[in-house]
Amino acid sequence: MFVTLEEAKKMIADGKLLHIAADESLLEQLPAGKWIAGTTPYFITGKGGITCKDRLFVDEITGVVDFKTVIYDKKDILNITKDAYPNGLSFLVMPFASEVAVLYAKEAPNSETLFMTPIIGWISGFDLSTDANAKVYDGVKGRSYSDKAVVLHVCLPDGSIASLGTVNIFDVDEKAPGIEFTEDSLSVDKCLVNGKEVIFADYIAKNGIDTRLPLVADYNGVLVNASIKTISDGKVDLYAPVFTGKVYRFASKIDDYAASFIENLKDLKNAKPVFSCNCILNYLYGELDGKATLPFAGPVTFGEVAYQLLNQTLVYAEIVKS
Amino acid sequence: MAVNLDHNLEQLIMGKLKYQSSNLGLNLLISRLQKKYSAGQTSAELSNCLQEMKAFFDKYKLIMTKEAEAIQNL
Repeated sequence: MFVTLEEAKKMIADGKLLHIAADESLLEQLPAGKWIAGTTPYFITGKGGITCKDRLFVDEITGVVDFKTVIYDKKDILNITKDAYPNGLSFLVMPFASEVAVLYAKEAPNSETLFMTPIIGWISGFDLSTDANAKVYDGVKGRSYSDKAVVLHVCLPDGSIASLGTVNIFDVDEKAPGIEFTEDSLSVDKCLVNGKEVIFADYIAKNGIDTRLPLVADYNGVLVNASIKTISDGKVDLYAPVFTGKVYRFASKIDDYAASFIENLKDLKNAKPVFSCNCILNYLYGELDGKATLPFAGPVTFGEVAYQLLNQTLVYAEIVKS
Repeated sequence: MAVNLDHNLEQLIMGKLKYQSSNLGLNLLISRLQKKYSAGQTSAELSNCLQEMKAFFDKYKLIMTKEAEAIQNL
């Protein structure tokens, strides 16, 4: 729901359990209650993409039997799987560029218990035309953080289970050169292209690669993106890490992001997401202002989490009942 | 779990069988276990990977029954 500040305050006063995304100026005005939040002024609502600082995107979490909020830093973020309910869903929000987000991005995929724990979430952000900080909020404790992650763990009743999904509009040309990396990293200098070591930044420049397109790796049929953040001083910095043992390829060019989403969402029209979010790079590069991605609506984010950190991807969670 | 399912899950982990699920978590798990096993190809590692896979199927049996049947019939 895309609501006014007064409507959000009423939902909190009514004791509803909420996940909220909004500009910092609004979140600072919310009373304590059963909610967590992250900052962003960008949204894709049911009516389309919008940049907005006077409304909040609110997901009401219903049908749960228990909940708790937990704050994590880089030392204990991997405890998220231990703290989660045995049959639950965990909503994770981390501030952009925070140490806790970087650690989660690199280490969570190596956690043996990660896929036993449905974790959905996002990286909070800020208005790119300002120098604001990304924040997360624990409404239960009435605290905000720019260096910690907030998690809402919810316990689901017997007969219900959380299921996560992604929508990735990117595809790869299997004939394109395979790119491999020799360490798990968010910052790359060298890589192997078809087995030959090269300077990654030079390779991108020489081949005129459009850096708005992510690197894509195949995880048993799931295409996982790593988007390029910046290239400077011979180093390529990424929004999500690349991992050893995976073959990456640059995504094929997309002419019309909105049309690609519509095509990819065809099979998901009956989905009933309790939460979803989409990437700011899709919003910006795809010019999604005014364009909807139904049945999915939610914050536009600086990184997406479906178990692990993803890039340039729509992620969502559903509660499936027997 | 049936013997044939265990056998096919082992074959999946070793990369000798292919199966793409509609479940995100299962696909990511298969990918991670294939990487884990390929780094240390021992029977103990295979057994560890199989136990992880079976724990996943047990936890998500509400939505994994058809997936288990499909893998069993590969």
